[in-house]
Amino acid sequence: MKTLNRVFAGLLTLLATLPAAAEIRVFACEPEWSALARELGGDRVSVFTATTARQDPHHIEARPSLIARLRQADLLVCTGAELETGWLPMLLRQSGNAGVQPGRPGYFEAANHVRMLEIPARLDRAEGDVHAAGNPHIQTDPRNIGAVATALARRLAEIDPAGADHYQTRQRDFAQRWDAAIKRWEQQAAPLRGVRIVVQHKGFPYLENWLGLRQVATLEPRPGMEPTSGYLVEVLEKLKREPAKMILRAVYNDDRASVWLSERTGIPVVTLPYTVGGSDQAGNLFGLFDDTVRRLLGAMP
Amino acid sequence: MNPAALDFSILGPALCAGLLVLATHVPMGRQVLARGIVFIDLAIAQIAALGVIAAGVLGWEPQGPAVQVAAVGAALLGAMLLTFTEKRWPEVQEALIGALFVLAACAGILLLANNPHGGEHLRNLLVGQILWVNYGQLLPVALLTAVILPLWFGLGERLGRAGFYMMFAVAVTASVQLVGVYLVFASLIIPALAGRFHPARRQLAVGYGVGVLGYVLGLALSAVFDLPSGAVVVWALATVALTAAAMAKRK
Repeated sequence: MKTLNRVFAGLLTLLATLPAAAEIRVFACEPEWSALARELGGDRVSVFTATTARQDPHHIEARPSLIARLRQADLLVCTGAELETGWLPMLLRQSGNAGVQPGRPGYFEAANHVRMLEIPARLDRAEGDVHAAGNPHIQTDPRNIGAVATALARRLAEIDPAGADHYQTRQRDFAQRWDAAIKRWEQQAAPLRGVRIVVQHKGFPYLENWLGLRQVATLEPRPGMEPTSGYLVEVLEKLKREPAKMILRAVYNDDRASVWLSERTGIPVVTLPYTVGGSDQAGNLFGLFDDTVRRLLGAMP
Repeated sequence: MNPAALDFSILGPALCAGLLVLATHVPMGRQVLARGIVFIDLAIAQIAALGVIAAGVLGWEPQGPAVQVAAVGAALLGAMLLTFTEKRWPEVQEALIGALFVLAACAGILLLANNPHGGEHLRNLLVGQILWVNYGQLLPVALLTAVILPLWFGLGERLGRAGFYMMFAVAVTASVQLVGVYLVFASLIIPALAGRFHPARRQLAVGYGVGVLGYVLGLALSAVFDLPSGAVVVWALATVALTAAAMAKRK
């Protein structure tokens, strides 16, 4: 009985000291930002991720732990650009954590630190599920990750001034490895330049822009909408005139529409990991782009 | 496991929402079972959502009281239709309710063909998330409950067919937006089912007991095991109801 008591006491002490070991608690909305926070923070940060790679970050189910974690967080790192409007505002309100509300240093939106694409010239409900701030799927271009890393390291230093040197050193180290990796990916992906693609959801403008892919059609007539039969006929006609080499979809998209098109046209479907954890090979940020480039090249004849 | 999530300030608003929903839905559920029309809440919720979509198509503001007026208005129209059909063809009322449900759902899809933003409203209306509830949202529902309950128990049989459908439509429109359609269905049917195994004078009390215990247990388990709260509450309600039914004396 005494030994058992001692074991319990030991466990309790362990539980009590565990959170104190990490200094800054980061709440990341998407896996790519939790991976980046770990790269930059090392053991000075502990990171919680709200969504997994196989979830659509537009919609998530509410769990009590989300509120509990955000309540304790020192820094919130999200994509922004309205990607999380379906749940983040409610979560922020329920958390009651003043330090991570919009406008405070504890609130970090990655989309503020990159050049946004597809900013609509006019906002019209008829145009579909468009985001006023531009397309929010910024993580498919590694140059964006690099830009966000610089800003995030600065923000971490602002939250945790004692660790400023730590973050700066780690950011420089990351930037060096990252820039070298981008050069490597760009060399590998050179044959992809000008290749025509079909996308399921308009989720890849940054990837297309980076690698020079040419999107000829999308399977959703407008973002977030199911295709009609007339629209699908139009897509098939277009592909006869301008044959595409591959159909891209993110791992969390439903595969029916892309499989349907692939069966009728013989164009292969490429499923991209889309974020860290989206495939077995995409275990970290480097693996994410290694795997993305490899899968794209694999679909080339 | 995350015991930190077992925090009343996180689960409190959700529990209050659950108790408010139970207050009206447990007695209404007994009526629904007696009339054999268990899918009526799905149909009413879908019709309320259709009202919201129609309002969006007409260009009304997507937020604010206009949406509530549209939702309640549509639900009341649906209730009037159901009152009429029950009087005219009582033997196929359940089938008509089912048909009305798919018709309303498909009408929504057709209206939304050119307005994907309406899709979000539809989703929000049907899949309410009980954890996102705050006390401010609970106030109007509490007032509504305070009006419905005395009328329900005060009038009893005198409420009549039309009175039942009207009150049901208003209550379901409000509760679906708070906790979502799965929890509304579970709160309506499961406690009432458990009550039927007990003598008539105890049925209501058993129903309320099952409902309250189910919500408390479900919310606590969802916090401890970090699972989506609504779905865990539904399973907790069913487990508590089974236990309560098993405890009833054999007839």
